[in-house]
Amino acid sequence: MTQRLDVIRDCLEGAVPGIMATCAADGTPNVAYLSQTEYVDGRHIALSYQFFNTTRRNILANPEARLIVTHPHTGERFRLRLRYLRTETAGPLFERMKAKLAGIASHTGMSGVFRLLGSDIYRVAEIERIPGAALAPPPPRASLLAALRAVSARIAGCRELDLLFSDTLDGLEAHFDIRHAMVLLLDGAGTRLYTIASRGYEASGVGSEIPLGQGVIGVAAREGTPIRIGYATLEYAYGRAIRAAAEANGLAAVLETEIPLPGLADSASQLAVPIRAAGRLLGVLYVESPHNLRFGYDDEDALVALAGQLGATMLSLQQASELQEEVLVPEPLAQPAAGRPVLVRHYAGDDSVFLDDDYLIKGVAGSIFWALVRDHVESGRSTFSNRELRLDPRIRLPDLSDNLEARLILLRRRLNERQACVRLEKAGRGRLLLTASRPLTLVEVGQGGARPDGACC
Amino acid sequence: MSTSACDRMPDQPSSVSSAVPESPIDADHAAFITTAGVSISVGSSSADLLPSITRGIGCRVVPDRLRASVFVVAEQSRDLLDDVRDTRRIAVVFSEPHSHRTLQIKGRDAVVEALEAGDRDRIERYRAAFSAELGEIGFGPLFTHALIDSGGGEVVAIAFTPCAAFDQTPGPRAGEPLAHAK
Repeated sequence: MTQRLDVIRDCLEGAVPGIMATCAADGTPNVAYLSQTEYVDGRHIALSYQFFNTTRRNILANPEARLIVTHPHTGERFRLRLRYLRTETAGPLFERMKAKLAGIASHTGMSGVFRLLGSDIYRVAEIERIPGAALAPPPPRASLLAALRAVSARIAGCRELDLLFSDTLDGLEAHFDIRHAMVLLLDGAGTRLYTIASRGYEASGVGSEIPLGQGVIGVAAREGTPIRIGYATLEYAYGRAIRAAAEANGLAAVLETEIPLPGLADSASQLAVPIRAAGRLLGVLYVESPHNLRFGYDDEDALVALAGQLGATMLSLQQASELQEEVLVPEPLAQPAAGRPVLVRHYAGDDSVFLDDDYLIKGVAGSIFWALVRDHVESGRSTFSNRELRLDPRIRLPDLSDNLEARLILLRRRLNERQACVRLEKAGRGRLLLTASRPLTLVEVGQGGARPDGACC
Repeated sequence: MSTSACDRMPDQPSSVSSAVPESPIDADHAAFITTAGVSISVGSSSADLLPSITRGIGCRVVPDRLRASVFVVAEQSRDLLDDVRDTRRIAVVFSEPHSHRTLQIKGRDAVVEALEAGDRDRIERYRAAFSAELGEIGFGPLFTHALIDSGGGEVVAIAFTPCAAFDQTPGPRAGEPLAHAK
């Protein structure tokens, strides 16, 4: 092999379509243009199978193929000798290609025509550079390894979960020039992701949720694989997908859209990378850009490495904070707040909480908030420990793997963003201080209770 | 009665056949493959069924469309030229990037020939048309020239009798013979 496949990965991005020759059992050759060529590893490539055509018939009868791919900047061409191995019709590779193909189809006016039936996997037996002129490649935007090192160092220096997220997003902007990004965490039940931090959007969208399997982010989480799209596509526009699902599922799901997901209206390039640690999925790091083909294979590699470190650091900070949690000593009772009381309503069905008519949060974060304000109102407490919250039977933490501290970060940010009359501050290791600037009137609403009108529109 | 141009055996003189041969491509197809800024890809296969492929840099079709020739750079196409000389099989795809209009022509009697008078001009006209086409979708002329660069090396013609032609524009009709696709 004269060239390594990973060195010519840029040629597989599809700016210039690949051309492939196959031949039938009787030797009749056939040439086809390829919508999509996907790097699998140093020795394998996957091609999109969209129609049962001559190419398909040929490779099933005779697995030999030759492919020409072209570098999108230099015009260099490489001829690959391939041998068809198998077709995958589900799983990470298939989903990665399906999402990317949706972007390509949309970009080339082929939406509705291009549909991925399978990912055909070929072994690359030989790569030959075709003799001919080549243009000078454009200078790199930045050294991705240097950027990775810089952000990696910042992550290694983080001592608190809250800062970990903001430092990571700051680092992406400063060193990768990635200006639109968010971190979403998987909830304990493993069915949805919630936004814990974001950068580059008008509203932070902290607390917004996306079900597993929906849009670029949801598919990346479900399949545990990075999903990268070079062109805008409605099919994977997560906002749209979520709205449609919410409409189909009725009123209960409408709350999911109450906090809108942040996101670029004119997003073109998108990359969602699963955050994994200790063999399980913790969340998704998502970046996007209004420019086509902004993220390449190397960006994907860099962010996958970064997401690995992010995940490991999340786990270690969580464990460290649990070990350091202090036992509370009795405290003086809080002074009652003055002014017009605020009506705090809690809906038992989904643990959603409203302050007067404003939706605040639901789910685990909602049940935490409800327990805190109940204790505050009923027994005058203002200081709480993470340890007691973790053991509190009123708080329905789905399982031990659920990250309590991340929920508290989410809750604290939501209260700050809403400029709510209740605030939560950190008060020492593993401790929280609740302050209320107005008196609170608590109302528990059972299953099926009517919600404030404003929250459901 | 007419017959496919492919019904003749590769070395059989056309006078042996009593029927008038008919090309599978019409005048519109011929104009498309010789004058539009199409991407040209040429395939063949060896006797032991290993396919070969190269990029074409122009095309010529005789007026009755019974013979077509595609031009390729010899240095870039060694395996393909060996296969054509050995098996005489050829498949050529012409695709217009902006419209995706694509057709494939096949032959069983391909031969490698020297360029004829006028072919250099045809290649230059092709280069200009392809540059204009790729320019429309955002590729600069330098890029296009690199894509179809001959490096000043030998350019040869592969001449063949079109014996089958297919519509390969992406979509449900892709793969249908041209006669049915019309």
